[in-house]
Amino acid sequence: MKNEKPTTELKRGLQIELCDVHKFYNQGQENEVHALKDINLEIDPEEVVCLRGPSGSGKSTLLCLMGCVFGPTSGRAAVGGLQLQRMPDEYLTRHRRETIGFIFQHFNILPRLSVEQNIVLPLLPLGISPSQQKQRARPLMERFGIIHRKKFKASQISGGELQRLAIARALILDPPIILADEPTAHLDSSRSHELMDYLVDLRKDGKTIVLTSHDPLVTEHPVVDRVIDLKDGCIVSGGPPCS
Amino acid sequence: MRPPLQKQLNILDYGLRSLWQKKGRHLCVFLIFSGVIFLLASFQFMAASLTRTAELLLATVPDITVQQLSAGRQIPLAEESVAHLDSVFGISNMSPRVWGYYFDERNGANYTVIGSSTPAADPLLESLLVSGRYPVAGERAEVVLGSAVISNLDLQERNSFSLFRPDLSRISLQRVGVFRESTNLLTADLIVMSIDDARDLFAMEKHELTDLLIQVGNPTEIPTIAKKIAETIPGSRVITAEQIRKTYEAVFSFRSGFGAVCLLASLAAFVILAFDKALGFSTEDKQEVGILKILGWQTRDIMRLRFYESLATAGCAFGLGVSLAWAHILFFDGGLFRFVFLGWSVLRPSFDIVPFIQGRDILLLFSFSALPYLAATIIPAWRASIVRADSVV
Repeated sequence: MKNEKPTTELKRGLQIELCDVHKFYNQGQENEVHALKDINLEIDPEEVVCLRGPSGSGKSTLLCLMGCVFGPTSGRAAVGGLQLQRMPDEYLTRHRRETIGFIFQHFNILPRLSVEQNIVLPLLPLGISPSQQKQRARPLMERFGIIHRKKFKASQISGGELQRLAIARALILDPPIILADEPTAHLDSSRSHELMDYLVDLRKDGKTIVLTSHDPLVTEHPVVDRVIDLKDGCIVSGGPPCS
Repeated sequence: MRPPLQKQLNILDYGLRSLWQKKGRHLCVFLIFSGVIFLLASFQFMAASLTRTAELLLATVPDITVQQLSAGRQIPLAEESVAHLDSVFGISNMSPRVWGYYFDERNGANYTVIGSSTPAADPLLESLLVSGRYPVAGERAEVVLGSAVISNLDLQERNSFSLFRPDLSRISLQRVGVFRESTNLLTADLIVMSIDDARDLFAMEKHELTDLLIQVGNPTEIPTIAKKIAETIPGSRVITAEQIRKTYEAVFSFRSGFGAVCLLASLAAFVILAFDKALGFSTEDKQEVGILKILGWQTRDIMRLRFYESLATAGCAFGLGVSLAWAHILFFDGGLFRFVFLGWSVLRPSFDIVPFIQGRDILLLFSFSALPYLAATIIPAWRASIVRADSVV
């Protein structure tokens, strides 16, 4: 069990598949929350999906579930070939590292680290040498135009550069799935457009992208294949029934 | 390099960098910890230095010392009593000695005066001298001086000086030798002269002595011979070298033990403080852990990171504290604890302490300082590591 990575595909060829998924927080306690209810969802490779819904609708929980942060309380979930239910945290973490790239609402960059140090953070627990870390980070910094800032602390760069840094960090392990939580929530219009352009590029690279957003600029963007609406933890539109 | 080792190095490197970048927050704990270790190490080094110096010097102590008591107080021993000891089998050598204290009123200091019949004959005593020689038998007014006596009397290059008899008449003396500074613990205040000069200085009768020093051929026979001597000379106090050694050891061990208990209490208070501080990790710390975890760091990686941070803090504080303690002993003669260990030094001339350090002392200090600190940070490290990855989403 320790060295083998258990993989079970629910349906061949799907990047993400959720079937009858429920997620409870604090189950059995007074403050129990039923965050996801009977979720059925299939996402193909290279598909770009946007999750939409009001606050508390379960968007972030669903994103975390797809991001292998935790498994479902019940139901079946498979992400990038790994069945998540009853999976030990160690495997979820390893799978998350190899399969998922996160772009956060506030970017979640460590301000005291340099641009380069932030990008290579996911590589440190893999035992990759500092020279190889730099080799891997360099093309990403060049691609996103932040190579000239590589020694700068993250607290010293502009908002746009911070955004590109966050994308570069998400791609450092070349994951097949990119999850973005409200990526344009704190960006002005031009930076939001810039971000969407990057997502277009990522899709061309063959990435599967799942976003959460209310922003019409995102939900109506041509790169988005499908918008899934959530309400009170349920999918109200955009999700196929589980077969 | 193999990935598992490189991984540890990467986490260690990240931890050290993180500590350095957040040094303002850690400085207070680091300084307090260094201070506690400094005090503890100073105490330990001081005790070790004094014990070691005493051990070296007590090698020169005779196997048995005999004194005469009356009403529980020491009185001069009559030379005719010595004659009775000829009947005790096993004694290889006996030498009379006059031992007393000379009070230097001008400097407010006590000097220890030893009048010996044959100091030059003992090769161990010879090794205590840094220059010169012991008084030769038959020669009068020659003395060997400890460094504090030379300093107090302000002799500098002069060799001649005088002391006062009880009737305030002067006795002129000539310095012919000087004791090594490494033996200062016992010789700093010492004046060694011929036994006749000592009797003259203290106005004692011609055949009186304060102690009789006895060497025994077979060391295993010492307790038996000591018992026989006590029976032969009624009212005598018979002290073996082992008893003297144990007395010194007990004095320093008691004092260092007492001090150590006080300091360990401070250490315990600090460990509680460290535990408390580590428990209350900030929102920024929590967010950092959340980010690392969502980026693929395992819980045990975070625990390792926190452990390395604690280890680095403890290691640096330990290194700094021990180095400062060493400097405290080396350059300041353990000034902070000097009077705890040498409580009678108000009347004794000052002297330099010879630093002595042992691996086991370092190990002991590490066990009583760094290890409790590391132990105190384990639970907070675990608490920090179980921050949920989704806390940053």
